[in-house]
Amino acid sequence: MFEKVLIANRGEIAIRVIRSCRERGLRTVAVHSEVDADALHTRLADEAICIGPAEPGRSYLHIPAIIAAAEITGADAIHPGYGFLSENPEFAETCAQCDLRFIGPLPEQMRQWGDKVSARSLAKSIGLPILEGSGLISDVDDAVVKAEELGFPVLLKASGGGGGRGMQVLRSAEEVRATYETARAECIAAFGSGGLYFEKYLERPRHIEFQILGDQYGNIHVLGERECSIQRRHQKILEEAPSVALTDEQRNDMSETIVRAMSEAGYLSAGTLEFLLDERGELTFLEMNPRIQVEHPVTELIMGIDLVAEQIRIAEGAALERPMHRLSPRGHAIECRINAEDPDTFAPSPGVITELHMAGGTGVRVDSGVYGGGRVPPHYDPLVAKLVVHAPTRPLAIAKMRRALSETIIGGIRTNIPLHRRILEHPAFEEGRVSTQFLDDLRG
Amino acid sequence: MKLDLEQLRELIRLLDESNLTEIEVEQDDDRIRVRRDPAVTVGAAAVQSGAPQATAEAPAVTPATSSDESGTYITSPFVGTFYRSPSPDADAFVEVGDEVAAGQVLCIVEAMKLMNEIEAETAGTVVEVLVENGKPVEYGDRLFRIETV
Repeated sequence: MFEKVLIANRGEIAIRVIRSCRERGLRTVAVHSEVDADALHTRLADEAICIGPAEPGRSYLHIPAIIAAAEITGADAIHPGYGFLSENPEFAETCAQCDLRFIGPLPEQMRQWGDKVSARSLAKSIGLPILEGSGLISDVDDAVVKAEELGFPVLLKASGGGGGRGMQVLRSAEEVRATYETARAECIAAFGSGGLYFEKYLERPRHIEFQILGDQYGNIHVLGERECSIQRRHQKILEEAPSVALTDEQRNDMSETIVRAMSEAGYLSAGTLEFLLDERGELTFLEMNPRIQVEHPVTELIMGIDLVAEQIRIAEGAALERPMHRLSPRGHAIECRINAEDPDTFAPSPGVITELHMAGGTGVRVDSGVYGGGRVPPHYDPLVAKLVVHAPTRPLAIAKMRRALSETIIGGIRTNIPLHRRILEHPAFEEGRVSTQFLDDLRG
Repeated sequence: MKLDLEQLRELIRLLDESNLTEIEVEQDDDRIRVRRDPAVTVGAAAVQSGAPQATAEAPAVTPATSSDESGTYITSPFVGTFYRSPSPDADAFVEVGDEVAAGQVLCIVEAMKLMNEIEAETAGTVVEVLVENGKPVEYGDRLFRIETV
């Protein structure tokens, strides 16, 4: 059993982890950069250590500083949150070498799933349906051959990429020839490797993902799906669970497939398998995220569990409780990510929050990283809070979210609340007719 | 007060021509602050307003030393454990009253089992040791006060 956990993150997810720790009676250590000396996570933890200046590379991404902070405070485990070092296998290895338990998957599991081309072949080998695609492209002529074999349109993707960066839709051999070399150069600049591959491009897919938990005894549990089709610049902003697009049969079939596949591959802690659902209703594997995700609360609400507490239990060596994967989802949950950004241009809007009132009432959950009078620094992610609602049915959840958004007041910075209100008022959203193109369509 | 570009230019010009490091103008609920970072020769300006407008911020420059009227502080460049001597039974690197040369080792900060020697940036006299031997230090914590000659 742990006594003290260091949280190697900031903002709402650091507070989310502090909450589960405190409920379990664990002491918490926050690490922070100089600009986060008065941040909420710094204030809420039992202890706080300044680990460096504002630049993430010298603070939240700086492994020696974080390990040293754990050593001087006597922490016995580190929770990495999401982003920053959460998917860095070297960090997990360094923790192990320093006798600190990393709360997350094993380093080799992060490596297996980190590279997209190898993740695709692993997924295929353990029996997950994968989207048609090519292997690594060797040069521009090879690119044309591979694209023609696959059939246009194709999506050019970076094997080491993430967050939607560097993806391009190509619709002809001419476009492939015109784009390939520049795309390769950009890919090397952004990700340090020039590995590119193609995937079949789906015009209007839905983004559906399945939450899993694994323990060190080989048990794999699937905790239902989330629908995350509402995205801006390939980044999710509104998520819900369950998805209206899946039938019970599809959900059960895929859950069984995932349990079989992941039991074969082996997996520790929380993870998410992302899929695309095409217009014919077929699910194909996209990638695996070996960490807790931003949108995990919608799963927690409908399944009635605490995923971060489960991560901690698993890291302490506990086994998953038997009946958990037999839990059936209850009701419907929606999450809106409140970002400090212009609702139309998506330009970041850091600054001082002059007033703050978050929604409340039955069925409303707020995971916030800020307080009134606090500052949103310009150096990090624009996510300031997550507003999450839970109601018996989807229409009631939509009504509750509209009500919750109408109560929320954030002054001093611009937020995307007006955009969320537009989405929730849209007839296509109400009817559940959405795809990853929804926002582009909405914005014309 | 609307953020008038011409007014802003005027403020920056005023700052440039003066010895001031900061000018702040407040009117009703709005505030504009133009600030020059003393460590940077070219005036970096930060604009801030109470109205919801984009806030630009000059990157914080944090030297390993910071000074005020009473001397120069040597601060810890990382998180770790502070040691005044190279080994438990050895003499301290420096004592209060010692004169030190630039580049002279003052202490060790241990992080991840690595002993990092912290050196004096400038010559001077050690007037204060601010951390007890063996205690944990954070990034930016003041370790020594040095009176420069």
